[in-house]
Amino acid sequence: MRTILKERKKMFEVTTDWYLTLSAILFSIGFFGMMIRKNALIMFMCIELMLNAVNLTFISASKHFGQIDGQIAVFFVLVVAAAEVVVGLAIIVSIFRKQSSASVDVLNVSRG
Amino acid sequence: MELLFLLPIFLPLLTAIFLFFNKNLFNELITNFFTLNSALLSFAISFYVFVMLALDKFQPISYSIFQWTNTPDIKIDFTLDGLSGIMLLLVTGLSFIIQLFSTSYMETDEKHNNYFVYFNFFVFSMLLLVMSSNFLVMFFGWELVGLSSYLLISFWSKKPEAAKAGNKAFILNRVGDFGFLIGLMIILNTFNTFDFYTVLKSASDVPENTITLITLFLLLGAFGKSAQFPLFSWLPDAMEGPTPASALIHAATMVTAGVFMLVRISPILQHSKIAGMVIISFGLITTLLAAFSAINQYDIKKVLAYSTISQLGFMFIAIGAGAYVAAIFHLVTHAFFKALLFLGAGAVIHSMHHEQDIRKMGGLRKQMPVTASMMGIGTLAISGIPPLAGFWSKDEILASVFANGGIYYIFWALGLGAAFLTAFYMGRHWLLIFEKDNGFDHSNVNEAPKTMTRPLIILGLFSIFIGFVNTPFFHGVEKVLHYSLEGVEITHLPEGITLIVLAVLSIGAGFTGLLIAYLIFSFEIFKRFNFKRINLDYPINLIKDLSFNVLYLNKLGNSIFVSGMKNFTRKVAVIVDGLIIDGSVNFVSTAFGKTSRVASATQTGLVRSYVVYFGLFLLLLIGLFIITPMVPQ
Repeated sequence: MRTILKERKKMFEVTTDWYLTLSAILFSIGFFGMMIRKNALIMFMCIELMLNAVNLTFISASKHFGQIDGQIAVFFVLVVAAAEVVVGLAIIVSIFRKQSSASVDVLNVSRG
Repeated sequence: MELLFLLPIFLPLLTAIFLFFNKNLFNELITNFFTLNSALLSFAISFYVFVMLALDKFQPISYSIFQWTNTPDIKIDFTLDGLSGIMLLLVTGLSFIIQLFSTSYMETDEKHNNYFVYFNFFVFSMLLLVMSSNFLVMFFGWELVGLSSYLLISFWSKKPEAAKAGNKAFILNRVGDFGFLIGLMIILNTFNTFDFYTVLKSASDVPENTITLITLFLLLGAFGKSAQFPLFSWLPDAMEGPTPASALIHAATMVTAGVFMLVRISPILQHSKIAGMVIISFGLITTLLAAFSAINQYDIKKVLAYSTISQLGFMFIAIGAGAYVAAIFHLVTHAFFKALLFLGAGAVIHSMHHEQDIRKMGGLRKQMPVTASMMGIGTLAISGIPPLAGFWSKDEILASVFANGGIYYIFWALGLGAAFLTAFYMGRHWLLIFEKDNGFDHSNVNEAPKTMTRPLIILGLFSIFIGFVNTPFFHGVEKVLHYSLEGVEITHLPEGITLIVLAVLSIGAGFTGLLIAYLIFSFEIFKRFNFKRINLDYPINLIKDLSFNVLYLNKLGNSIFVSGMKNFTRKVAVIVDGLIIDGSVNFVSTAFGKTSRVASATQTGLVRSYVVYFGLFLLLLIGLFIITPMVPQ
């Protein structure tokens, strides 16, 4: 039974490459979202998506090399992301209050 | 006694300060009262001090006010010896007489009080110059007389000519002062002191080249102050100032400061043959040039100005020939008759209501008999007619030059020519003003007031009699200067028959000059006799033109030093300042502006474009990562 399972596993083995590919796809989706959307909230969600893609990369690399360092880095990223959400949402709320839309294209005061 | 001789120096300064601070308080009468009494007191003390000095056989007295530094030995001190005693008497005496004249001449002027402030300040500066016991204090006085001369030349500063003339005098003097200052530096470096007596005594231990260098630089200062050849053109322009001030500053005292200084340093001057040669040749050039220029001037004061330059040239000739006593003697006599001539000119200008063109005068003898006769005395005195003052001094100079022999015979002949020219132009001057009828109506011209004619009479008497203080029979000035010229080789007059022949020749030159002037300007020889056979028009007009324009030297100097310098500096301003300095500064700013404009185009302010940049950069990083070859560990 075990050997059958093992063989099956061998057939459909999910290797590290799969995870990395998934992570790259997630990252690209996030990145394109950043580029094409104007809504600040959506952009924020794209950022989260990219962060999680990176987290996935870390974890798969950690598993692949049998080292704990990557997982620790993920914890750091999660903490930073939480803090970022707090600050970022506050900024978005204040933007919203100011111009009654969450579009970031209007905010081009720093144009050179 | 030591303190007493300081009093005449500082009394004019106190008067100047006092009058300056009470400028708005005093009316003319009170100002006149203070300034005249102070001048008189100053003169009386000077006279007393001089007599005491004479009783003491002219032993020098020094008094030190303040020791500035010990090494090098610099102090503020004053000395009274024969030389400074003569100058003290001369300056205070003439100052009193001329201030007396000024009270009337400046009567209606709105800056009446200022005039006396400047005047007293000048007297103080001049006394500082002549009484100083070291080169430094002399330099202070030297600069201050330049300042007060500037103030008095541009006294009527509303007239643009006066303001310009003041600037010109100041700037040309600055050229000379520059030389003086360098001379002082070399002196301090060589002798480690400024004290006259130390410097003059240790002069023989110093190599001749150093002495020559010192004297040549000091000479440049003397040329500037005494209006000698390259630096003379400020003096005729200085005639824009009030006439009495011209009489004191630009005829009698300040311009002789150079002569005084050279006599003061005569113990070191005699060690340098080159300096002597330079002095006598420049003196000759100046004398001839100025005398030539004087023969066709039409401004009553400019003739006298050129005449002053010419006479100063005579003094320089005397110094160059080693006749220091004759130089000082001529300085004294010249001070009297030139002050007389200037004050006479001032009286004429006053009576003519500020008309200075002598072509518009003529025949004034009847209206102004006193002025005419006193100016006549002055004219005879300067022409060298015995027994008036000018004869004794000028003849002594010419005879001393002759006594040196050799090349000095030529110098003597040229000097005699200048004496002839002097008599000619002074004769012309007097005849054109007082004798020749130019067809102008002068019935409304009156004799000058008594306050003007009295100083003229005093100076006239001096011009007649002052010459007797130093004749071939009685060497008065030489005795006075005995201690001042200790150890100096003085050229003495030739003996016996030579002296008489020389005297006759110089009297002859004077009389010939006056006679020719009479023939041309009063007898009008050109109209009475027909000179058609010889065409004289061209040479005469040429001479007139050259003389009036001073051989075009002013224009030449102007085009080289003023216009040329202006063009040059303008070019420098355009190239260095405009192209190089401004260009580099502007280049930096425009370069930054352009590059930042290009760079700022990338800053759109849109978050999405930043994201694009970020992505592009990320791609770049990945690309780099891929193409970088792996380094084996």
